Amino acid sequence: MAAKLDVVVVGAGLAGLTAARTLTAAGRSVVVVEARDRVGGRTLNHDLGDGQVVEAGGQFVGPTQNHILKLAGDLGIDTVAANTVGDSVYVHAGRSRRFSGEIPPDLLALPDLALTMRRINQLAAQVRLDAPWKSPDAAKWDSMTFESWIRRNTVTTGGIDLVNVFLGSAYGGGAQDASLLFSLHYIAGMGDEDNPGTIERGIGNEGGAQESRFVGGSQLVSIRAAEQLDDRVVLGSAVRAIEQDATSLTVRTDDRSWAASHVIVAVPPALAARIAWNPLLPAQQDALFSRLTFGTLMKCEAVYDEPFWRQDGLSGQGVFRSGSPLCSMHDNTPPSGGPGVLMGFLGGAQWRRWAHRPPRERRAAVLRSFAEVAGRNALRPTDYFEQDWTTEEFTRGGPTAVAAPGTVTGFGEWRDRPFGRVHWAGAEHSDYWNGYMDGAVRSGKDAANAVLEQGD
Amino acid sequence: MTTIEVSETATLAVPIDRVWEVVSNTARYADWVHGVVEVTDDHGPATVGRTYSEVNKSVGPLTMRTTWTVREVDPQRTRVDTGVGLAPLQNFVNVFDFRANRDGGTEMTYTARYSVGLGPVGVILERLLRPGMRHGFQTSMRNLEDLITAEG
Ligand SMILES: Cc1cc2nc3c(=O)[nH]c(=O)nc-3n(C[C@H](O)[C@H](O)[C@H](O)COP(=O)(O)OP(=O)(O)OC[C@H]3O[C@@H](n4cnc5c(N)ncnc54)[C@H](O)[C@@H]3O)c2cc1C
Repeated sequence: MAAKLDVVVVGAGLAGLTAARTLTAAGRSVVVVEARDRVGGRTLNHDLGDGQVVEAGGQFVGPTQNHILKLAGDLGIDTVAANTVGDSVYVHAGRSRRFSGEIPPDLLALPDLALTMRRINQLAAQVRLDAPWKSPDAAKWDSMTFESWIRRNTVTTGGIDLVNVFLGSAYGGGAQDASLLFSLHYIAGMGDEDNPGTIERGIGNEGGAQESRFVGGSQLVSIRAAEQLDDRVVLGSAVRAIEQDATSLTVRTDDRSWAASHVIVAVPPALAARIAWNPLLPAQQDALFSRLTFGTLMKCEAVYDEPFWRQDGLSGQGVFRSGSPLCSMHDNTPPSGGPGVLMGFLGGAQWRRWAHRPPRERRAAVLRSFAEVAGRNALRPTDYFEQDWTTEEFTRGGPTAVAAPGTVTGFGEWRDRPFGRVHWAGAEHSDYWNGYMDGAVRSGKDAANAVLEQGD
Repeated sequence: MTTIEVSETATLAVPIDRVWEVVSNTARYADWVHGVVEVTDDHGPATVGRTYSEVNKSVGPLTMRTTWTVREVDPQRTRVDTGVGLAPLQNFVNVFDFRANRDGGTEMTYTARYSVGLGPVGVILERLLRPGMRHGFQTSMRNLEDLITAEG
């Protein structure tokens, strides 16, 4: 074992790398121990083979996500507007309809959707962001699923269907998977200290969370951050055990160990619970982390010689109201304008239905959905690939963790509570933009500051 | 009771062996047959004498449960099934015929033969349903072509 470090950070995603940057800047000795042979965790650049990349994990950023935007800016990474030029297409009951703006042309569903969104924002404004379990109606809101609340407050199935379009990619699930309280807290955090969260900001393109992408792909943020940390980042080293006594900690992989005064665990909560802890994690914290398993989400992307849909006045964006394997799709063409790339989210119930079908059958179903939006040329891509996050040993789902009823009120206060000299980071440990890249960066800074405050 | 026949033909720009492969998979009808919501019970590659079941769209939001028995399998030429659960249509026989064309594509004929129950009401209903049925057959064959194209 080498000399005792000030801090070992477990996990080289955005949260862990941000924590390490903050601590290094404060003069602390740090090692980041990462299980994979790469950095970036849930952000991943897929190589298009011509020096260009396209995102296969987290990718979109937007207003109020100031922490990830600042980090990227500091690392010399620009943003580019996600393509919204042209009409989007709404697919329902086998019919494709073009529309402009953000609201799908579904006259029967719209009154329910508008009402649902307004009520969600009203209730979200009452949630205590720092301690949702202390919100006025916490017990009531955490006793029901988001879906049961929506159904109770709507007449048609339009409200629930269209909320589920969003949650298919945001939760990798549906409104039935999450408690109302968790969902309201999640939405209340879609903002910053000056701008209260709203569902519109979460689902929106311009002015919303899908406004921009990073030039060079989102993983570049982690790659550049890791380059600056240099040999402080150790790859290919899964942390298996963490032992702690009153003054010191030992972090063990299969063949190495590090001693440190503090540890920041910046891995998904359900994976943190799988580390062998000595002493054991407090039972409540273990229970919480074990319950914070990820949704099920796959990105399906097709590559074409050019973004042919743009010539037809289409944005490449599609919204699928049930019946399709996808919930939504986007134009993921690189900023240079070619090759053309369409990306679809296959998540939640649709993931359960399609993930285990033969790859060829799934590919056909996805491309036919692309064709419903972009035209039949979409059936013949030059390349097609999928990134199924459930099959990643060190992620096991995506994009984030969703809490079922009873979790936030029962165990929520344990989410960020330090365990002796162990601190927690990761997108699931942020009040703002929980589950997003911005939340990851915020949590990394918060955990690093907590270590600095704790002192030696 | 007279037998009614509704038949539609289409040219699919995909090879006959692939068409036969997909059509023969009793698990896959929801992937391409217009109106099939879900296959609830299948037996894999179609085998004479065995059955499969589907949920089909009916009128408006209504659905119906149908069960099909495979009657004839003549590889890359003909497939015949009989179905129950399609009221008011009775004695329902579904026939797919295939022929390879010179361009490497497939001529497909989709035929339904049936009689009509429910007396005069059934007759009126059938007349109302028939254009939709023709359209459904054409849509199904287009779906089949798209699916095979997209499978690459
Ligand atoms: C398909 C998909 C789409 C998404 N879309 C968006 C989006 O558009 N916008 C957005 O803001 N967010 C999006 N997200 C979410 C976003 O990617 C994540 O919130 C963010 O990247 C999480 O960063 P993190 O550092 O908290 O966790 P992670 O990125 O999960 O990093 C954790 C790291 O810990 C490592 N690790 C795990 N276990 C161990 C162990 N035992 N020992 C050592 N290392 C370990 C992992 O390998 C990983 O590198 C998306 C996610 C997915 C999957």
